[in-house]
Amino acid sequence: MGKPKTSRLYLKAAPDPNATWRWVSERGLRLATGDATLACYATLSLLNFPEIEDMIPADGSLLLILRRGELVSADLQEALAVPLANTQATTGQLHEIAVEYGGTAGPDLSALAQQAGMDAATYISSHSAVEYTVAFLGFQPGFPYLRGLPPALHAPRRASPRVRVPKGSVAIGGAYTGIYPANGPGGWHIIGRTDAVLFDPQREAPALLLPGDCVRFVAA
Amino acid sequence: MIEVLRAGLCDLVMDRGRPGRGAFGVPTGGAADPAALAAANRLVGNDADAAGLEITLSGPALRFPAGGVAALTGARFVATRGSGAAVAWDQTLVLAAGETLTLERAEAGCRCWLALGGGLAVPPVMGSRSTFLPASFGGFQGRPLQAGDVLPVGGRGGEVRLLRAQPPASLAGKGLRVVAGPQAEQFDDAGLAAFFSGNYCVDSAFDRRGLRLLGATVTHRRVELPSQGVLPGAIQIPPDGQPIILGWDGPVTGGYPVVAGVIAADWPRLAQLEPGDAVRFATIELETARAQAVARWKIEGLG
Repeated sequence: MGKPKTSRLYLKAAPDPNATWRWVSERGLRLATGDATLACYATLSLLNFPEIEDMIPADGSLLLILRRGELVSADLQEALAVPLANTQATTGQLHEIAVEYGGTAGPDLSALAQQAGMDAATYISSHSAVEYTVAFLGFQPGFPYLRGLPPALHAPRRASPRVRVPKGSVAIGGAYTGIYPANGPGGWHIIGRTDAVLFDPQREAPALLLPGDCVRFVAA
Repeated sequence: MIEVLRAGLCDLVMDRGRPGRGAFGVPTGGAADPAALAAANRLVGNDADAAGLEITLSGPALRFPAGGVAALTGARFVATRGSGAAVAWDQTLVLAAGETLTLERAEAGCRCWLALGGGLAVPPVMGSRSTFLPASFGGFQGRPLQAGDVLPVGGRGGEVRLLRAQPPASLAGKGLRVVAGPQAEQFDDAGLAAFFSGNYCVDSAFDRRGLRLLGATVTHRRVELPSQGVLPGAIQIPPDGQPIILGWDGPVTGGYPVVAGVIAADWPRLAQLEPGDAVRFATIELETARAQAVARWKIEGLG
């Protein structure tokens, strides 16, 4: 017998690569939910399990944060055993967001359009022709990751992030388009700006866009 | 009310935080060691969820025009009182009208918590009085205290009971216990060996969002992956291979592989790390992590 594999030594129980559950730490249960992420989030929100303190939908996965000292109950285990494909996401609200494209509001637009092999006007009409879905919020409070960007518009993040991206900037990062809710650093390409207030902690509903909502950009 | 004569490095109003808003991109936040703040609250007769101050590395000078009841828990700081009386940690302090309480630098560790009888009565935002610096809301005007600030304090009923608290023994332990993360198998053996046997040093890039470590480079097979939900204590490995431990105000999603997660029982130790500290990780099994009881502070009468 050879010596034990290093991974066995350090990881104790190595994660099962085929499992749909992964623990992020002993309080964080990450579910591989794929395309059913929003449906799964909606279902678990309705069922309101007392051991769940928070839920974070993300790109193809859903993180359940358990309350300190709580375990996954038999009821929750049963709910998670139901095939996720059978759950239906409810359609969220449609928001129209007015955008000033290009110029000082969108300093990266012309370079992105050139890379995509189109003129600025075509780029703008491609970006505003789509009805996007809010896949999840992250990075900053209220920052929406919008799914549905036409493949021709996909662009890897900037090699060096900007120190300050203005509030309301409409941006492209990989396969997503998004909107910066507040001034701050950011690595996405900026193509325009909106006056819509994405996040206001004093509002009854602090985040303008919620997972599952739909967004259409309107060129101002 | 309390007057801020001089501000510390980063004095923040904190309570237990605002859980349940992760889907809006808002982390729970709140005191880095909620049990230590809760103990301080009990020492002054408050509910455990009252707001107090979280003080980091160097503290403020505060004046109590009408006097008050206070208690300090967590890291010991050099501290003096206007009356000349010693400033004891982990017990009820009664301050006379007009008295000052001055905190200088931390003697060891990083953070302490100051509870005030009646609690800091700043308006709650999204269900909590905790400051959330990354988006500048909550706490006192969404920012650290400044000289000249006047902090509102809630009403306090009943007589003052003099109490003493005993921190849980687990706080004194060294090292951070971790469980394997969701991308642990994406690291090669050399990367895992570097991470688990390496000595790391806390970098000066250090705040409540996260803590950068300097040391052995953790190599991995893949650099980018789809954004996933993360929680405090998650240890991300960015492309440069130097680990980042996410803190209480960190982002709710992250795109770097998570090699391991600091178990919740050791988050209070995480709260006491300061730049230059040495860090080592010890891996434990999930079931062992889960069996760690919530550390209890013992509160008893003084004298």
